[in-house]
Amino acid sequence: MHISEGVLSAPVLVTGAALTAAGVAVGLKKMDYEKIPQVAVLTSAFFVVSLIRVPVGPSAVHLVLNGLLGLVLGWAAFPAILVGVALQGLLFQFGGLTTLGVNTFIMAMPAILCYYLFGRGIAHKHSGVAMALAFACGFFAILLSSLLLALCLIFTGESFLQAAKVLVLAHLPVMVLEGVVVAFCLAFLMKVKPELLGATHAAG
Amino acid sequence: MLLDRKPRLSWGVTLTVLALGIAVYLPMVSQVWAHKVNVFAWVEGDTVFVEGYFPGGKKSQNSLVEVFNPAGTKLLEGRTNKKGEFSFKIPERTDLKIVLTASMGHKNDFIVPASDFQEVESLPSSPAQSFAESAKDSSAHPADLSQLEGMIDRALDRKLAPVIKLIRDTRKEGPTITQIVGGIGYIFGLFGVFMYFKSRNRSK
Repeated sequence: MHISEGVLSAPVLVTGAALTAAGVAVGLKKMDYEKIPQVAVLTSAFFVVSLIRVPVGPSAVHLVLNGLLGLVLGWAAFPAILVGVALQGLLFQFGGLTTLGVNTFIMAMPAILCYYLFGRGIAHKHSGVAMALAFACGFFAILLSSLLLALCLIFTGESFLQAAKVLVLAHLPVMVLEGVVVAFCLAFLMKVKPELLGATHAAG
Repeated sequence: MLLDRKPRLSWGVTLTVLALGIAVYLPMVSQVWAHKVNVFAWVEGDTVFVEGYFPGGKKSQNSLVEVFNPAGTKLLEGRTNKKGEFSFKIPERTDLKIVLTASMGHKNDFIVPASDFQEVESLPSSPAQSFAESAKDSSAHPADLSQLEGMIDRALDRKLAPVIKLIRDTRKEGPTITQIVGGIGYIFGLFGVFMYFKSRNRSK
């Protein structure tokens, strides 16, 4: 999910940066004082989780957790992902400074969409329905990120369908894994801190 | 307000436990997958060897390798084999920029300075030449000298192989625990500063 420097052309980079700037502005505006520590924790989780390699069959994958960030933080997922990606870039040279905007957008936009699509649903009384929706949220966030990434790569000369096929197939295990993780996180939060999930939707 | 404080305190405790848990868990996880592709190239004789790999050591197979001169002209291109390696004869005795493009938007480059080739050329040949001059009066035959040169070359390659391997392996290391913990520190610090400014606005 981290595009390297020098792959994308300037218009794509500028568009990505502009969209990210707008998203971050909305996110910062919507971030309440009480919510800041929560954003910080989820940013740390996002920052760290992509360093943890989960072996799946012959290859290995890592989680992204953008679905969870969207679900819990709403628009604040934008600044959270920006900070996470920026630090991954600075410390580990994942992605790069010029691609910061595009990379943030690729992961944050699906987070926001998930927030609107599943945010209300996860408060469902029936825990089975809530779990299924949480799974869908994790799954869908990665799927959408892969498609956005494929969209960015069109401009490098790769055909969309081919790039999308490769990316979606490569991320299929991540989607399933992410769905499961988000579902369990949600179940845990519902038991321990239900107001965490409710508060976002009251405010946002 | 007092009633309000209690859950926030327990939230803080949860955060600390979470962060500590992650910090303790991380040293057990050393490998990373597909955030970044690395390229390393070295010269042996008249051949340049290129190796592409991801942090953690996974090879970058079937990736496009392009070689450019300082003027930006493409000299040659090829693809890495199953071991993530590609080799080519030195096409021009200038600085060579080796660009490796892996799938999914990963790309990186490595520059082999022209001095590397000169060393390879001059090191074995100049002692051999001076040896040849001093040996002119003696009974050494030119055939012996070229044999000697070949022996020196082979011996050097053999002696240097572990060193080159060491360099290659060192470059494969993923993020270190210091960097990861430092990153988490940055995140908390950043949000702390943000919170400070927000709290000043609030108290006004």
